[in-house]
Amino acid sequence: MSDKPKKLIEKGKRLDGRKVDELRPIKMEAGVLKRADGSCYMELGGNKVIAAVYGPRAVHPRHLQEATQVIIRYRYDMASFSVEDRKRPGPDRRSVEISKVSREAIEPSIIKEYFPRSTIDIFVEILQADAGTRTVGINAASVALADAGIPMRGLVSSCAVGKVDGQIVLDLTGEEDNYGEADMPIAMTQDGKITLLQMDGHLTKEEFALAIELAKQGCKAIYEVQRNALVAKYKGGSYV
Amino acid sequence: MPKIKDNFVIPGDFIGTSEEFLSRNGTYEDKGNIYAACTGVVKIDTKERSVSVVPQTDTPPVPKVGDIVIGRVSDIKSSVVLVDIARIKGQEDREIATPEQGAIHISNIKDAYVKELGYEFGFRDIVRAKVIDAKTLRLSTDHKDLGVIKAICSRCRATLRRKGDKLECSGCGRIETRKIADDYGSGMI
Repeated sequence: MSDKPKKLIEKGKRLDGRKVDELRPIKMEAGVLKRADGSCYMELGGNKVIAAVYGPRAVHPRHLQEATQVIIRYRYDMASFSVEDRKRPGPDRRSVEISKVSREAIEPSIIKEYFPRSTIDIFVEILQADAGTRTVGINAASVALADAGIPMRGLVSSCAVGKVDGQIVLDLTGEEDNYGEADMPIAMTQDGKITLLQMDGHLTKEEFALAIELAKQGCKAIYEVQRNALVAKYKGGSYV
Repeated sequence: MPKIKDNFVIPGDFIGTSEEFLSRNGTYEDKGNIYAACTGVVKIDTKERSVSVVPQTDTPPVPKVGDIVIGRVSDIKSSVVLVDIARIKGQEDREIATPEQGAIHISNIKDAYVKELGYEFGFRDIVRAKVIDAKTLRLSTDHKDLGVIKAICSRCRATLRRKGDKLECSGCGRIETRKIADDYGSGMI
């Protein structure tokens, strides 16, 4: 990693030229994998993430199954080439935690009673990381679930907010995350119910309120991208 | 909530209220509002005043009455054969969403007297059957296209080959009987 730059925000512009309330460029495509039941590819700035959904299908091992509803399993995994120094492949403390919180962020959107004794398996692979990978994973997983035709209450959108050079900013980059004062990933349903909220660093009460508002705007923008990805794939109708 | 502009919806889109419509397939109701639960086209039944969403995506396979299913015999009881259902015909590339055992009762095997289930099915046979009750997953093989499509010898486990209306073991030459489908051994499911 490069040394800390003197200033992360100069004249209202960030290192990559964005304003404080601006997201990085997004690219999103639904149904990119043939073998998975549902899939989605998403890019957010330097993040490149692919999500695949399998199921509902039989649960193995059997003791995990639930008699009244489907169970959700979520695996967040970083490719060994996704970061600057090679990441040792496989689950580690960090990715196990992210898997858990991401699953809990996605779970409320799924109507689970329709498929008792089954499992929905979600796999999120981080191909290239640049801060905010869990949020990108949640966005992609949400669209992949819709692509798999799984009944849902709505989509979940997610983005990060943080504090850099004393200012609240939307969608931190790797550098801003490393040298900034706070990083707070948030996920919410489309009606604004928060399903994920983590924070690294410190924010005052006022800053926190401001950050939530900014995250709401960010999630709204991402929701439109998610919607467009599904519309682009399915409007016109290959099926029926 | 954004009002829908056209009839294409994604999960979470507001469709109407419960005073206007009955909420049917592909929709859900929350606090008196009806929302889409899947990605597809809104269909309104003006006669019944119900609304549903016809999915444009691939959907999880759930057995319905009349579906043809493929499975493997997992148990043979005195009057019923249990089948582990693997796939629904027409959706072969996707695993079944609610995996359960189907049951073929002795009375639904064929349009003839069945003396003993052992003459009609063998353990681990691959079976093609029709769903006659989706809730309890009762199956029937009473059709010339339905029945065993692959069977193994009960003595040596080698594949049985068709010989007239009986089956002959390719290993030990033993003759066995089954309720066989018309295209037994063709490898088509």
